[in-house]
Amino acid sequence: MNKSDTLNETGISAPVRRVDAMEKLTGKARYISDYPFEGLLHARLLRSDRPRAKILGIEVPDLPAGYSYVDARDIPAGGRNGIRMITDDWPVFARDEVRFVGETLGLVVGPDREKVLEILSGIRVTYEELEPAFTIEEGLACKGGPIVGDDNLYGTYHLTKGDPEAAFRRAARVVEGTYRTGFQEHLYLEPQGMVGTWEDGKITLYASAQCPFYIRKSVAHTLGIPEPAVRVRQVTTGGAFGGKEHFPDVIATVLSVAVNKIRRPIRLVFERAEDIRFTCKRHPSRVTIRTALDEAGAIIGMDIDTVINAGGYTSSSLIVLQRAILHGIGVYNIPNVHIRGRAVATNTFPSDAFRGFGAPQGLFAIELHMSHLARELGMDPGSFKQKYFIKTGDTTITNTAMKDEIRLNEMFRKVDAMSGYRRKVKAYDDDPLKGIGIAFVNHGCGFTGNGEQEIIKAVAEMERLSDGRAALYVSTVEMGQGLQTVLRKIAARELDCGVDNIVYDNPDTDRVPDSGPTVASRSTMVVGYLVQQCARELKRRWGEGPGTRVRKQYRHPEGLTWDQDTLQGDAYPSYGWGVNVVEVAFDPVTYEVKTTGIWTVYDVGVPMDTRIVTGQAAGGGIQALGYAAMEVCEVVDGRFRQHTLTDYTIPTAMDFPSVACEFVENPYAYGPFGAKGAGELVFDAAAPAYADAVGHLIGRKIHEIPVTPEKIMEVLQDE
Amino acid sequence: MVRAFKPADLTEALRLRKETACVPLAGGTDLMVKYRNWTGLPPAFPGDVLFLSHLKELQTLERRGETLRIGAGVPLADIAAWPETPAVLREAVRGIAAPAIRNVATLAGNVCNASPAGDGICALYALDARLELTSVDGTREVSILAFITGPGRTVLRRDELVTAVLVPRRAANIQVFRKVGTRKANALAKLSFAAVGEVKEGIVDAMALSFGAVGPTVVRSTETEKRMAGKTLAEVTALAPSIVEDYAALIVPIDDQRSTAAYRKTVALNLLKSFLEGLKEKVKGI
Amino acid sequence: MNEFNFTLNGKAVTYRGDPLKRLLDVLREDFGLTGAKEGCGEGECGACAALLDGAMVNTCLVPVGVVAGREVTTIEGIAGTKEGQDIIEALADAGAVQCGFCTPGMVVAAASLLRGNPRPTETEIREAISGNLCRCTGYDMIVSGIRAAAKRGRRSW
Repeated sequence: MNKSDTLNETGISAPVRRVDAMEKLTGKARYISDYPFEGLLHARLLRSDRPRAKILGIEVPDLPAGYSYVDARDIPAGGRNGIRMITDDWPVFARDEVRFVGETLGLVVGPDREKVLEILSGIRVTYEELEPAFTIEEGLACKGGPIVGDDNLYGTYHLTKGDPEAAFRRAARVVEGTYRTGFQEHLYLEPQGMVGTWEDGKITLYASAQCPFYIRKSVAHTLGIPEPAVRVRQVTTGGAFGGKEHFPDVIATVLSVAVNKIRRPIRLVFERAEDIRFTCKRHPSRVTIRTALDEAGAIIGMDIDTVINAGGYTSSSLIVLQRAILHGIGVYNIPNVHIRGRAVATNTFPSDAFRGFGAPQGLFAIELHMSHLARELGMDPGSFKQKYFIKTGDTTITNTAMKDEIRLNEMFRKVDAMSGYRRKVKAYDDDPLKGIGIAFVNHGCGFTGNGEQEIIKAVAEMERLSDGRAALYVSTVEMGQGLQTVLRKIAARELDCGVDNIVYDNPDTDRVPDSGPTVASRSTMVVGYLVQQCARELKRRWGEGPGTRVRKQYRHPEGLTWDQDTLQGDAYPSYGWGVNVVEVAFDPVTYEVKTTGIWTVYDVGVPMDTRIVTGQAAGGGIQALGYAAMEVCEVVDGRFRQHTLTDYTIPTAMDFPSVACEFVENPYAYGPFGAKGAGELVFDAAAPAYADAVGHLIGRKIHEIPVTPEKIMEVLQDE
Repeated sequence: MVRAFKPADLTEALRLRKETACVPLAGGTDLMVKYRNWTGLPPAFPGDVLFLSHLKELQTLERRGETLRIGAGVPLADIAAWPETPAVLREAVRGIAAPAIRNVATLAGNVCNASPAGDGICALYALDARLELTSVDGTREVSILAFITGPGRTVLRRDELVTAVLVPRRAANIQVFRKVGTRKANALAKLSFAAVGEVKEGIVDAMALSFGAVGPTVVRSTETEKRMAGKTLAEVTALAPSIVEDYAALIVPIDDQRSTAAYRKTVALNLLKSFLEGLKEKVKGI
Repeated sequence: MNEFNFTLNGKAVTYRGDPLKRLLDVLREDFGLTGAKEGCGEGECGACAALLDGAMVNTCLVPVGVVAGREVTTIEGIAGTKEGQDIIEALADAGAVQCGFCTPGMVVAAASLLRGNPRPTETEIREAISGNLCRCTGYDMIVSGIRAAAKRGRRSW
């Protein structure tokens, strides 16, 4: 990789020291809990402790002076008791019934924390309990009666390619498997938090968040005021991973109602146990895949049934579901396919965005299923999967030509050279203590379909400052992924200056245009491209002097089509591509698995900084291995059973070895310097590769993650 | 508001312990979590708190004849680093939590917490450890087996403090500790297994086995251990199935947020079986 | 017990207040040192780490009364030393920082390790930070940064 021009020491990919490194290393960086506010009040949520019940009454004791109880009655006339995400079915304050444990009922605010707790414990809520549904199966069966509509489904989608019915009619053999994934908690190290104040005559929120403009929209909707009457200022954010995409709206709306009433600064920061118990998780999934094979063992069709557990309200579940099914056949060209996707309502905390946004669930199922097919047909998974790699021009699941230039064969060769996959996959067949697994993935960059064009309409601006530097105005946030460095690098390179000459503050909705949310692997590719265009124009117009300001708006690349009603056309403008190999060793006494090697190869177009992207690959890979191997999150009586950091176990530095990462360069025409998205792609492959490796190790099929030693024991004993 | 006492010496500490219903706090790593309050507020201790970690009298690691005396205030990190610490205990202590915890947490605290999953406790059972309990009226010694009566329950009197953990020094060329945790470091035990034994010229002189987190208290059976004493290694190997059967009756784990009863039981017995079968190889290396 | 002195980042300070308050809260609220973060409040994540008489502790588990007469060194103090600078520069160059919330604790863990073991192996480094959780980096670049710090600071450790 070092031979290519852009990855070399002087190109855009050459690593630079991150602009935020020193302030974070010295402890000077300030997160939401680190800011002092004059006259700060503390707040704590009153939450439901029933998974499904009618609220009969809430008795609040008489409050001492200076303390407030805030609830739906405090929403001003013209406002709405609904959190505007994609839709607004999730109420700011529970209406007459609660749908999950932890639903907001009210907020207690006051100056002394001890007193706030005392008031909270004095509030009496009476319920009439209803029969709850927690699992996908209970949700589909409408246990206790439907929570939404008459079928308990937030939505159903179908994708059809070719003639799957005919394929199954002529099949010589059908192979079926059902694949399940569990809840996953984001576990950003900094818990959710926000401070709301009344500043300069308007509601102002200081937020640990990914999407300042989402918060602004939600708050305006709840208070019934114009969006510009709300100001959102992002502060240094200690990790997010999708968990601070929509969930901050839940905090912001409650807090805004309180600030609107009290007009003083109020802090609402979650403690860790609150954060694990009462925030959104990754959607659990159940995917059943039936594959039609002909006499020769070739795949002639697939039928895929995908269900995700969406929990008590819609949040962004339908978009997550779309992404799950749009990635439902992974990197393969399968001739005849039908996919049904459903998002089911249950009485668990609403599931929402988490790095990958549905794709990991869809890809887990197809990758494991392809591995199982390979084993059934007596092939190694790598070689079998390779036979079906999609090629440029092949028809996608949404019935259009695949437009990406695809380098999967080269990536497979590369990962094989790094890991010895082809040799080991044969050698370990006879070794009861070793296994190796492989997974190939792609990840659509940016919003699905024409969302960037129709919904987001991103804008970026740049300005020549009077001190000779240039300011960058975007709503893209730094949450650890390195965007403050990457976007500065892009601008600096076009302006031919150092990254220090680009000013790029944490976004403030009063000061920056809406360049969209920091989600969906869109920021480098979409916003970075706008930044590059801004910088080019600013360079041209530099001579116009200080104050020169340029503005660029997103335009969808030519030649792409999309129909959102039928989900047909170009599902994404481009894809990132990846392959992971995971090697494992076994302790047959304890059923514990030790990961002994992790090798990854990615096509992210052109990496904007090889060290930043390698850091994403390592972090995403280990986060996915936690998902695959360790992070058990069960629901018992509607409560997350593992709700402390002791019991919800994310990987430590001792759990996995280092992640080897290489790139193939494949410039994308509409990304800055050829870049595509990377942040989610690096999560997608490790879990199926791990499950494949464990299956290889024990000589059984694995269908479910997390694959704990307990599960391995069950599979081995289930003879 | 609860008070906090910082006694000048052990005598004052014992007086305070007797006169007030105070909570003894040495490392505090369990208590501070147990009584955790909202950020910014002191923990909600149920009574006055007695700081102990600064007391010189509790800070000593010493060998007294055939007994190792581990002062109740000595942090785990120091115990792990002490050359006299038996290998089985060192291994257990090294696996407790993470370095920052081991720099303040104490073994006596681990024992007083009386969790069946306490890593140190499992090793101490196999070592026949005793607790030195002191009050203004004097000192008594209680075996760890008698000290812990159930999860979180001990026979410590309201006027007493644990002043030391006493570990008999005895020949033990077999010392094994195995923790099966929720992850590879900084983990709580799903179960643990400790073995301390002496094999002389192919004959088992003594063998102590203990199992953690598989019942309300650590499981140990001196009866079954006696069945191994005086036997040759070949005889012990032949006995293995019936020894495993003995423990199968004693091991009654539960399902919880960290593991399942079935896994705990199966793996505890697997570890035992593998230990008994590997005994010959272990002794060869000595 | 409601008023005592201790040494904070090399300076004698006086604390007045509840001795049971967590050292973490005292550092952050009474002394305005917000480098130590609260990631969990139960001693699991290490984001609140500081040195107490040179050894790493989780300040969320230390009642402040315990530090009377002792020496507390926070990230702010470490950052001002030659050893601290070596660690910080090495971690910055290694790409060890992402969201940054675990980062001050990682620097403290590195300082605590290197004081006792100036030439640690990779396994020793991983053990030393096993109580410091990071959700962003997968740890690789933190480990290589600490290794580089050991080399960089060879004379100072």
